[in-house]
Amino acid sequence: MKIKNLKKQYDGKTVVDSVSFEIPKGKVTSMIGPNGAGKSTVMGIISRLIEHDAGTVEFEGKQLKEWKSKELSKRLSILTQSNNVQMKLTVKELVTFGRFPYSGGRTTPEDEEIIEKAIDYMELKEVEDRFIDELSGGQRQRAYIAMVIAQDTEYILLDEPTNNLDIYHATNMMKIARCLCDELGKTVVMVLHEINYAAFYSDYICAFLNGKIAKFGTVEEVITKETLSEVYKVDFEIMEIKGKPLSICY
Amino acid sequence: MNHKAYQSNKRKLLIMGGLVLIVAILYMTIGVNFQNQRLLQYSMKIRAPKLIAMLITAFTIGGASIVFQSIINNTIVTPCLLGMNSLYTLIHTFVVFFLGSGSILVMNANLSFAIDLVLMGVVATVVYSYLFKKTNHNILYVLLIGTVLSSFFSSIQSTLIRVMDPNEYDTLLTSLVASFSNINTEIIVFSVAVLGLIILVLHKELALLDVITLGKDQAINLGVDYDRCIRKLLLGVTLCIAVATAMVGPISFLGLIIANLARQLLKTYRHKQLILGSALFGMIVLVGGQLVVERIFVYAVPISVFITVGGGIYFLYLLLKSRRG
Repeated sequence: MKIKNLKKQYDGKTVVDSVSFEIPKGKVTSMIGPNGAGKSTVMGIISRLIEHDAGTVEFEGKQLKEWKSKELSKRLSILTQSNNVQMKLTVKELVTFGRFPYSGGRTTPEDEEIIEKAIDYMELKEVEDRFIDELSGGQRQRAYIAMVIAQDTEYILLDEPTNNLDIYHATNMMKIARCLCDELGKTVVMVLHEINYAAFYSDYICAFLNGKIAKFGTVEEVITKETLSEVYKVDFEIMEIKGKPLSICY
Repeated sequence: MNHKAYQSNKRKLLIMGGLVLIVAILYMTIGVNFQNQRLLQYSMKIRAPKLIAMLITAFTIGGASIVFQSIINNTIVTPCLLGMNSLYTLIHTFVVFFLGSGSILVMNANLSFAIDLVLMGVVATVVYSYLFKKTNHNILYVLLIGTVLSSFFSSIQSTLIRVMDPNEYDTLLTSLVASFSNINTEIIVFSVAVLGLIILVLHKELALLDVITLGKDQAINLGVDYDRCIRKLLLGVTLCIAVATAMVGPISFLGLIIANLARQLLKTYRHKQLILGSALFGMIVLVGGQLVVERIFVYAVPISVFITVGGGIYFLYLLLKSRRG
């Protein structure tokens, strides 16, 4: 996926300004940056949820706009932060929706198998018949991830997947993201607030500042004292734990 | 798929269908003189069109309410909030005011119905699809503007009424406060045709409703052409409301009651079942209610009183329940 000169304005205020980078296939890429730096907007644009004003997004050799929505939904999935359903929906039914791009409302035995696998993968077997609105935040998040897994796309975009989760569930979430990449061969792109999660679990990091890319590169290239201090405007110390650069701010 | 729930819902719907049948038969037979051929024919001629009109109304209101609620993603709204009822009143007042009550547009029920449909359809498409895009699908704005438009329309209408010839006003009034005892049966064939067409054109979008209730982002993620789909469905809802309003006049709470009863009973996301359930509930309430009004209260109390009182209480219950939850 190649992103070139992306621009987006809200009411004359530029929130994304000449952003260009390429998302490496089969890797985990995280976008970090302070609030309002434009990372979520970029995420929205590359997942076709938000329209952009200028620039291009090339996906698998074709412009994103030229893709049919239905075809694209078999290649690229997005999980946003706000997921509240007013319907009475069980976990299994939600995961079943992941097969919608393939078989519409009717599932084939093949779909059923994929759904089963996704539920098992997210360890949701015991709660599969419970209603979504009766679950805890962590379980609900996992149910949505299971749906994305059932959607079986090469690219998986996650917008702040650790938001509102406690340390245990957030860490699990990050491990899952890693597994999606390592075990299932997916390309994972995330927006993250926790720098250390990003540093520990991703291959590439894209740091945003004021709608522009401050730095894009491997974890070691981006997680440096200088870059982080510039992006977040606070002092950082970098330590190395298990071969990964971890940051402490004060 | 949750097969057990699906089957049990199917059973519930079958039972409701049976109830509708029973109520309909009771409505057609109670108090009918079967000995006298002519009296029998006379009662049938009066009752049959009424029954059909009520069934159609229940179906349109029930279906439109469920679809509208799912689009808005809120279960305590009704399509009345779009201000279509006052638009209907305004159109009719306009025609009588400028063309007179003797005009062909007033006398010919089918023609005036066609005008209603076209005007309401056009206004709804232009205003609401534009608003939806402009406000970035912020439903609150759309509803707020619906409320403002609604009082705007009724202000114009009441101004026109003030300067109107009292005789003309008399004629107008019968078409504005149509109740279930005064059903506009002339347009039955036309309405059925319109409804059939709506369902035919929208059957693809209706199938997408299940996904749309997951929210805009999820719907797009799963490959739905969201904007187009919403626009088409809203147009369908408006036309359905137009059909129901033209037939029996504005009944505000009915849609809210039956849609929520259906949701409570069926507890599902499947819109095929929800729409059917809501329509069946509507039929039971309307036909049963009219039966009670005609045979027990002998027309002393119109059914809309029951609907509004019952609907009001049910609405309060829904509000309190959602607050606690």
